[in-house]
Amino acid sequence: MNAPLHSGLEHWLSAPDDSPAPDWLLERRRAARARLSARPLPHSKDEAWRYTSLKGLLEQQFTAIDEPLSALQPEDLDTILIPGFDAYRVVLVNGRFAPELSVLGELPAGARVGGLRDWLGHDPESLRGQLDATRGDSETFFALFNTAGLDDGLVVWLARGVMLDRPLELIHLSVGLDEPRVAQPRHLVHLEAGAQATLVERYVSLGESLYCTNAVMEVVLERDAVLKHERLQMESRNAFHLTGFYLVQDENSRYAGVNIGLGARWARTDLNTRFRGEHAECLLQGLYLAGDGQLLDYHLDVEHAVPNCRSEENFKGLLTGQGRAVFDGRVLVSKDAQKSDAAMSNRNLMLSEQAEIDTKPQLEIYADDVKCSHGTTVGQIEPEMLFYLRSRGIDAAQARRMLCLGFAGEIIDRLGDEAMREHVAEAVGQRLA
Amino acid sequence: MLSVKGLRANVGDKEILKGLDLEVGPGEVHAIMGPNGSGKSTLSHVLSGRDGYSVTAGSATFEGRDLLELEPEERAQLGLFLAFQYPVELPGVNNTYFLKAALNSIRKARGESELDAVSFLRLIKEKLKILHLDDSLLKRAVNAGFSGGEKKRNEIFQMALLEPKLAILDETDSGLDIDALRVVAEGVNALRSPERSMIVVTHYQRLLDYIQPDYVHVLARGRIIRSGGKELALELEQKGYGWIDAELAA
Ligand SMILES: Nc1ncnc2c1ncn2[C@@H]1O[C@H](COP(=O)(O)OP(=O)(O)O)[C@@H](O)[C@H]1O
Ligand SMILES: [Mg+2]
Repeated sequence: MNAPLHSGLEHWLSAPDDSPAPDWLLERRRAARARLSARPLPHSKDEAWRYTSLKGLLEQQFTAIDEPLSALQPEDLDTILIPGFDAYRVVLVNGRFAPELSVLGELPAGARVGGLRDWLGHDPESLRGQLDATRGDSETFFALFNTAGLDDGLVVWLARGVMLDRPLELIHLSVGLDEPRVAQPRHLVHLEAGAQATLVERYVSLGESLYCTNAVMEVVLERDAVLKHERLQMESRNAFHLTGFYLVQDENSRYAGVNIGLGARWARTDLNTRFRGEHAECLLQGLYLAGDGQLLDYHLDVEHAVPNCRSEENFKGLLTGQGRAVFDGRVLVSKDAQKSDAAMSNRNLMLSEQAEIDTKPQLEIYADDVKCSHGTTVGQIEPEMLFYLRSRGIDAAQARRMLCLGFAGEIIDRLGDEAMREHVAEAVGQRLA
Repeated sequence: MLSVKGLRANVGDKEILKGLDLEVGPGEVHAIMGPNGSGKSTLSHVLSGRDGYSVTAGSATFEGRDLLELEPEERAQLGLFLAFQYPVELPGVNNTYFLKAALNSIRKARGESELDAVSFLRLIKEKLKILHLDDSLLKRAVNAGFSGGEKKRNEIFQMALLEPKLAILDETDSGLDIDALRVVAEGVNALRSPERSMIVVTHYQRLLDYIQPDYVHVLARGRIIRSGGKELALELEQKGYGWIDAELAA
């Protein structure tokens, strides 16, 4: 008998269970569910939920998606694909792997990419150690929900020294259904020693429908592995979006992540990273744009648990209309993590009087020989910059847009592909029009 | 072309321009000289439409249009150009993109079509050469990290590209060494034409050795207190600005 779930979330796990789950997985799901029902709902009294209310989310009464949507044709992706962006492609529709829309072609030897559900059908044992490998005790309420409802997602496994020659694009496409639905994809990424890849994760929708995505990605980078990771959250403006990202890094590995957040009416992103080996590097860049009716909430938890690692957290925000954003960044340097280097920055450009930003960078440092810094700014467009552009014949609206794109450019330029940079710059520009 | 009559302007409660008159005809080059703080930049800003000044009396018309009614971009589109005393750095705003946006806005206002990419690039390269500027400038952000001299040359480069009817150069010479000054002056002289007027604002006479003005005005305490030919600039060079106080006190 299952324990009852919180009101408003009781149908998140209601999918009939037809997935080929091994016993150990069923047990994990049950355990997650039991822990969930024992945990209170996140509340504004919890530090991590101080600025973000769950009320709107609970009111929707989302229900789990019970069957895959099979009616999509490859042409349906025409408006979604980025012209000129050449990549291996995995498509998930409403959280379910869609092989007929995915294009993997000839992957290099030693690279395995596929749907989680399929993988569990033919090689479940390989995932036993991977699932939940990254999370330690930082498991959030919604990550537990994701585990309790675990069903499908993306699995990427690169053997020792394997390099993906092209980016791997994960398109998470949501298509509105008759009633508000929640998808809970689980993505597992494992790079063995020295492996290298670029992963581009895109959350998009057909139409402006109401749905919820509660995604979790776990990434393990073994020694010397290199992962470039770009996340584009461009969900429907009526959608709810939750992401739990969990990364562990072994010695000398490098992770560079760029987070772009433009979509959803309510989005909560938790980025949790942990160094397990020395001389590793973790770069987290972000750009968010929140306008009318939007709340974009970012929580970073960066743990320097061992010495000699470097991290950089650099998030920039554009706030327009009545948009709201939250940046809660925490860097923890534990007692033994000498020679840690961490630099955190959060800069915001407020484009209206009604917009709101709550920013809270925190450094918790228990080691004595470290180099750590943090800084926050909340500012407006400089009038003299605006005047300079206008004095050259450029009208005020375009001048403002150019300055905002200039501000955002520092992050957009970190994207690895020209077509991708154009795609994002155009999307940002449109939102500022 | 430009007619300024009895112009008075405040910053906050403080009156800076105190009844200023100036007539500039087509093709004329007027130098405005004056001590620091006399209101030279204020005049440039008021004419180009910068916020923060309130005009309390007088008028400024440009080709028959009331300048003071217009937005800054409308003035630029009519053919007014200001070379800034302190050009503004625009981090992240790509120079090529900026130049294209500016040129196209102005061409559109003149009823011309947008330039295609090839002609645009050709035009830009031609103008860069005049100012001895390197192509690499195009990939950089506008003025960001430019040296003082580069910034000033970049202003004249923009002027060469936008081909205004009236250019106001606000202390374009200040902070330039003699070689840079020569390059800037050559750039300006190359743009002189019977249709293009210029107001050259300067503190020193030096620039006027290279850019020969038709008229010289002395601006002090918010008014033009003397006007004459280029010999007036030489007189100022010899006497300095000290005599002004004496004259105004008299
Ligand atoms: N924004 C401002 N706020 C207060 N005073 C100003 C401002 N701009 C100019 N002024 C004052 O106006 C006077 C004229 O300044 P300005 O036009 O810059 O002189 P110039 O360019 O001739 O050196 C100076 O006394 C200066 O202090
Ligand atoms: Mg001045």
